[in-house]
Amino acid sequence: MAPTEAAEAKVLTREALPVRSEDDVVLVRRRARELAQRRGFDGFAQAAITTATSEIVRNALVHGGGGEATLEELDRGGRAGVRLTCRDEGPGVLDLERALRGGFSVTGTLGLGLSGARRLVDEFEVRSAPGAGTTVVLTKWARR
Amino acid sequence: MRPEDAIDRLQLDEREVRRRRDYFQVTDEDLARLASHRDLATRHNDEVIEALYQFILGHPESRAFFPDAATVARVKQLQRRYFLGLFQGRCDPAYAEDRVRVGATHETIRMPARLYMGAYAVYLELIRAMFERELEPAAARAAYASAQRLVAFDMALAMDTYVAAAEDTIVRHQAAVRELSTPVIRVFDRILLLPLVGTIDTARAQQVMETLLTRVAEEQARVVIIDISGVPVVDTKVAEHMIMTTNAVRLLGAKTVVAGISPVVAKTIVQLGISLTALETRGRLQDAITLALELTGRAPAGRQA
Amino acid sequence: MRQTGQVPILRVAGVLLVAIQVDLGDTVATALQEDVLEAIARTGSTGLLIDVTGLEMVDSFVARVLVDTGRMARLMGTETVIVGLRPEVAGTLVRMGFDVSEVQAALDIDEGLERLGCKVVRRGAD
Repeated sequence: MAPTEAAEAKVLTREALPVRSEDDVVLVRRRARELAQRRGFDGFAQAAITTATSEIVRNALVHGGGGEATLEELDRGGRAGVRLTCRDEGPGVLDLERALRGGFSVTGTLGLGLSGARRLVDEFEVRSAPGAGTTVVLTKWARR
Repeated sequence: MRPEDAIDRLQLDEREVRRRRDYFQVTDEDLARLASHRDLATRHNDEVIEALYQFILGHPESRAFFPDAATVARVKQLQRRYFLGLFQGRCDPAYAEDRVRVGATHETIRMPARLYMGAYAVYLELIRAMFERELEPAAARAAYASAQRLVAFDMALAMDTYVAAAEDTIVRHQAAVRELSTPVIRVFDRILLLPLVGTIDTARAQQVMETLLTRVAEEQARVVIIDISGVPVVDTKVAEHMIMTTNAVRLLGAKTVVAGISPVVAKTIVQLGISLTALETRGRLQDAITLALELTGRAPAGRQA
Repeated sequence: MRQTGQVPILRVAGVLLVAIQVDLGDTVATALQEDVLEAIARTGSTGLLIDVTGLEMVDSFVARVLVDTGRMARLMGTETVIVGLRPEVAGTLVRMGFDVSEVQAALDIDEGLERLGCKVVRRGAD
């Protein structure tokens, strides 16, 4: 019986940012770092969420033709978190499993981008269907 | 645990309180029924609380937590308010927070959960007796059933407060152990030594790497010695972590020497087919230190040509 | 020195020094790579120091640009050393599984110069 672990994540703030250009990639990852700083993440956790955000948002731009990134500040039982939800309008990552294993790439760094991002965060989920775009949701929790 | 922290941890918003009420089947009808007996409860408030404290103070274990008359008077006053809380006709976040506050107060004075819960049993019994004395049997049964559900709701909050406090203690201890389990020692100018002891899982390997990288930057270290003689099992996973850490250390411009490779470990590594060519390894710690001194341009005495 | 990007490239003690101070967008990173290669061709420097002290984040794209620049420079006969990588950036790169085996790194510019075979006289030392 651990009610605090079972507690659902509470969303403290939420903001949606467009992913239309390369500058947007920089803006979204910078914002992710600001939120992580504000939530009291240590330097390593800040770097992890910032870098993972950069990978995923760039993928959405380069392979998905752009879309939208939503950043949320979370709290779960007193534990601080930051979540990125990135949705694109592209063709969908066709071979998701291979892409996630890393080393595989549609153009350039996609494989390392996805698999690397997954290794940096605590929760990672990809929803993708050919023709229906890709949505990546990742969450990083502060160390307690 | 401070009451505010406990409240924060349990996240008692509308939804959470609703979820808990559903589980304990505390209905609006229950609350209304209890509220209808508010006058009765007010009349019997003193007597119920007196009887409760007669029990608590009459037992040597629980009496120990109430050292003087002033404390007893203060907690009785709180308890009277707590008792009347049952008959206010509401069970919302404010109510729940109030309950947590009382639980946290008991946890803070380190009253064991069993004594606290034991008092609840007596408390319920007193409530039942009060209803039976004052109401028709059917009404008394209904009122008591409602009170039982709401008190069960209260007890769960008290227990969760205890659990949250225990979890906090564990987390604090874990952090302390983590800190202690990554003792980075500066053995010479710009040479660091990390003696690893115990099992290395992914979380710990991560912690070790981060601590080590931070210290390398702080100390401007050129060589890091990781002594793994205290690691009971060296398998593929541990080797991977070593290689990863070595790579990260290298990115800061420092070298890693792994010491403490015992015959068993050497055998395991070769049999598992793990390639450690990227790592500088030594069997004995003193040889690793000699190597570190050479790498920093300080050939130790007796080894000079 | 002439440059198309936003990052200055300096020549110090016969070595090219690039100090990256800002979070690099992809285009700026790519432009920097070209600027560096042109500077190598023009100066014939045998050493390249890339100071990344100012970088709070290096993702796989920027890392790839840095590693590739080093490879290209080597083809031109120039050795590359990365200096000032932050602990959290180094940790992040290896956790992502980025292959860093080709990267030569040093703690700071002095050590980087030393690595490139330049004699650095430290005040108070020697």
